[in-house]
Amino acid sequence: MARSSAHFPEPSSRGLPLPSPTNGAMYHTYRSDLSQVRALVLQQAQEAGLAEGRANDLVLAVSEVAANTLRHTHSSGTLAIWHDAIEVVCEIHDEGKISDPEVGRHRPAPDATGGHGLWIVRQVCDLVELTSDANGTTVRMHMTLRPPGTRN
Amino acid sequence: MWYNADVDLLTTSVATVESGSEPYTLVELVGEADVTNSDALREVLDAEVAKQPRTLIIDLSGLRFMDSSALHVILRANRAMDRQGGVVALASPRDPVAKMLRLTAADQLIPVYQSVSEASAG
Repeated sequence: MARSSAHFPEPSSRGLPLPSPTNGAMYHTYRSDLSQVRALVLQQAQEAGLAEGRANDLVLAVSEVAANTLRHTHSSGTLAIWHDAIEVVCEIHDEGKISDPEVGRHRPAPDATGGHGLWIVRQVCDLVELTSDANGTTVRMHMTLRPPGTRN
Repeated sequence: MWYNADVDLLTTSVATVESGSEPYTLVELVGEADVTNSDALREVLDAEVAKQPRTLIIDLSGLRFMDSSALHVILRANRAMDRQGGVVALASPRDPVAKMLRLTAADQLIPVYQSVSEASAG
């Protein structure tokens, strides 16, 4: 049920800061234990009412972004997760730097042995916002609870 | 990379299965395969590929999660097997893993079967 994020405005692609997470966001700091990150996302997504398949999609997306923290930084990353009546949002922040905000917009060759991570994230999430500057990188992944045209 | 490899998260077991005239190598993955254990997975698959089996079947039925790092390791093994005239097949992925294989079109490169016996029948 992934939709192209091209249908959404993406102010973050133009380098504007993201608004703060809403009150009630849950925070978790990770370094090595991505399994725990995935378990938290699955639990929170299910509590928010996200259907099983889409909850698994969100788990995959968050895990791919968190894996980049392990690959590209020497410090921990932070997961924030929150939801309202409309959507579940997961945000990963770390000290990494992404120079190309368009990264992951093109499908890697099937036999490419690298570069699938952010492409997968953009495929499975309803909206992906990405900012990267001297303070690090923030990737915010949105999943609509009841996408138009589905009964979820 | 700087992190602790998680040895408990993913269990691999390897067997050589006699199947009619043609034995095959069966690698069973149980748990979660991600960036923290993809080096260990690579070592296991490299060691089996080096033995030059005709067929290498990876049983995914016990795998709850797979990320792109693990996928890349499998794609590398597939490429190496292909170069030496062998075949890799994947068996019984659970839904999240099957979706990952579809999304990346890896299932266009490596045949995916419902079961190990189907995979061994080719």
